[in-house]
Formats: sequence, structure tokens, C-alpha cells
Amino acid sequence: MVVKIYGHAIAPTVRLVAGGEHKTPAFKQFQPFGQVPYIDDDGFILYESRAICRYLAKKYEEQGTLNLVPKDTKGEALFEQAVSIEASNFHPFVSGLASRRLLRSCCLNTEERHQGMETDETKVTVLLDNLNAKLSAYEVILGRQPYLAGEYITLADLFHLPYGTVAIEELGYDVLQDKPNVARWWKEISSRPAWQAVKNGA
Amino acid sequence: MPLTIYGSPFSTCTRLVVLICKEKQIPFNFVLVDITKGEQKAPEYVDKQPFNKVPYIDDDGFALYESRAIARYLIKKYADQGTPDLIPSDPQSEALFEQGASIESFNFNPPASGIALEKIVKPLLALRTDEKTLEKRSVELNEKLDIYDVILGKQKYLAGNKLTLADLQHLPHGTLLFTNGFEDLFTSRPNVARWWNELINRPAWQEVTTYFNPVA
Repeated sequence: MVVKIYGHAIAPTVRLVAGGEHKTPAFKQFQPFGQVPYIDDDGFILYESRAICRYLAKKYEEQGTLNLVPKDTKGEALFEQAVSIEASNFHPFVSGLASRRLLRSCCLNTEERHQGMETDETKVTVLLDNLNAKLSAYEVILGRQPYLAGEYITLADLFHLPYGTVAIEELGYDVLQDKPNVARWWKEISSRPAWQAVKNGA
Repeated sequence: MPLTIYGSPFSTCTRLVVLICKEKQIPFNFVLVDITKGEQKAPEYVDKQPFNKVPYIDDDGFALYESRAIARYLIKKYADQGTPDLIPSDPQSEALFEQGASIESFNFNPPASGIALEKIVKPLLALRTDEKTLEKRSVELNEKLDIYDVILGKQKYLAGNKLTLADLQHLPHGTLLFTNGFEDLFTSRPNVARWWNELINRPAWQEVTTYFNPVA
């Protein structure tokens, strides 16, 4: 039976898994935080996109891209280190930048929009400064090894794709300049056929 | 050679690692990194932890940072001793554990650490509290804990009916808030209160407090 993904096509976290309804009581029965996505795998309900990814990667570990979650003790530990790096050092800033996009496009009056845009620019500067500082550390790590967890691609690298794509490609924040190792890594993970397919609405 | 933890008593993340050592009865050496003097920014430290944060561990030559990664590594390495099943191994229980761990990382930690920064850390450093951010984070954490109360009304712990690392991950920042004037976040919601009361009274967590604040 096919896994059902409940979400919205524009939400970065849904793209990670797949490829005003989520606030309804009916939806919150399955996802109490009123967020997307959640999955229904033959009656087993799961939410939190990274948890869903881990579950699917392990369930289908024999097919498709292999070793997305390493199993040897040290490989797994370094994978968990990389997953935590993304959660603490990348996600807060790129998701902050992505939410600025929603602020610009939501229905405010002119005065509210002007005020919003002023605080918006200050907040964007702070987010970019933080992101650039963290990516300087990524530059060091990715100068020693090709991927965040070591020699091979893992889920930890892929977790960067949804919000990273919004910030870097859709909003055009140039955080890769002067960081050739990060740029190399980003180009490689973002050009993967599976991610291209998700972006193109598969 | 025993495990060495490089950290600071002021660091909530360091306390999570020490907690797991207490839960799993793992002996360790503690090396102080004095973050009040910026020792975590020294080149030899940054070589080990490129984000210049505490803690990191050296386990007989194997270096690891990010407290939740360290916690997972130690729990799996010492699976057969101390508190059992902190990370379940059957696929669905494990997935629900991952869901709980992610809930902590993305729904609890950001507003909880945000409040702690504005209301507790900044005053200690003689920095100005950003009242707007504090208000925003307080509203956010209250909304999230309302949902925790729903979840914990249906099951004992965040990942189901057994305690896991996902619950323990809440202790460092949760306790910081609980003991600095924010106890009503936890006590005003009946299911959260029940869950929190059990967590904060765990002997292993009491041992962490004593470890960093020895009673003469």
C-alpha cells in the first residue's frame, strides 16, 4: 500500500518528504501542532518531516539511494552530529529568511506593510549575518570531507535542501560567495535528480 | 580510558550529556571550558568544535559534538546498562521516538531557549532584554505547551507510554525556566505538570544538579 503524505506543495518540509486546512480540528487529530506534513503508512500516523524521512529511509533501506542513515557505530554518531548541526546552525536562519517571504506577500495595509518591511530588513540582516557565520564553520568541515557526516551523502545533507533552496535559489541570498567548499557541496546535493523531481512537482 | 566531556556548568547542552552519563551509569572525566572567558573560541578548541560551542566529547580518541548526537551515541553504546530503552529499536516505536525528539528540537527548544536568553542570560551579561522577542517567544511556548497537554493527556510520555531520550531532552532548558520564575508554564497544565514533575525528580537529574553544585 502506498504511503499517503498529507501536506501542501509549497511548504518546504513537505518537499522534504515527497515530495488553512492544516489548522482544522480534523487535521489536528493527526498532527496536533497544526503543521504539515504528516504521513499515513497503512494506518501508522507519523509527523515531523525529519522523523518521517528517517522512518522511510530505514524501512526502505534496501532500495534506492543506500546508506542515507549509517548503521556502524561511529558512522551513525557522525551522522547524528551532522543532523544536529543542520537543526541548530542552519534551519533557524534559513527558515527565518523563508518566513520573510510570507510576510511580504500577506495581506497588510500600506502602513503595516511599510512598518513590516522596515523591521523586516533589520531581521534579514541579523539572520544573514548569523547564517554566514555558521556557513564559515561548514566551509572548514567541508574542506576536510565531501559531506556533512563524512565521505558519503546522508539524510543530514538532504535535510538542508528544502529551506536552503528557498533562501539560496528562490530568494537569492548569496551566502555561498567566498565559500568554495560549501558551494561545491550545495551544487552537488541540489542537483540530485530526486530533488530536481520534487522541485518540478513530481 | 574513560570518556572525557569538555563543557561548562553554565551550558544546558553540557548538562544533557552529563544527565545521560548518570542515567546510563557511564564514568567520565570533566574538563572545564571556561565560556565566561571565551575559551571555546580559542583556536585549539575550534579545531575540535568548529561552531565554538560546548560540549564535545573525546571517547578514547573518537571526538563528537552536538549534545543530542552525543546523547544518542552514549545511549546506543551503553544500551545494556543503566536506564533501558531510551531509544526504542522496533521500527514504529523508534519512529515515534524520532517524532518526539523532533518536537523537542523544533517546537520546544527554540522558544524555551529564546526566553532563557532574554530573561536569564542577558541580564547576567548586563545586556538589554529585547521585550518584543521575549513576548513573542512566550506566546509561542505557551501555544506549544497547550498542545503538549493534549498529547500528554493521551499518553504518558512524548513518544508513547515509555520514557525516552525525547523527554529527557527537555530537562536542561525546562529546568532553567522552571527555577527562574517560569514554573507556571509547567504547573498550569495538568498533563504537562504530571509529566514534568516526574522528569524533574528523576534521581539522575538530581545527580546532575549536585554534580555542578556540590553541597559542602
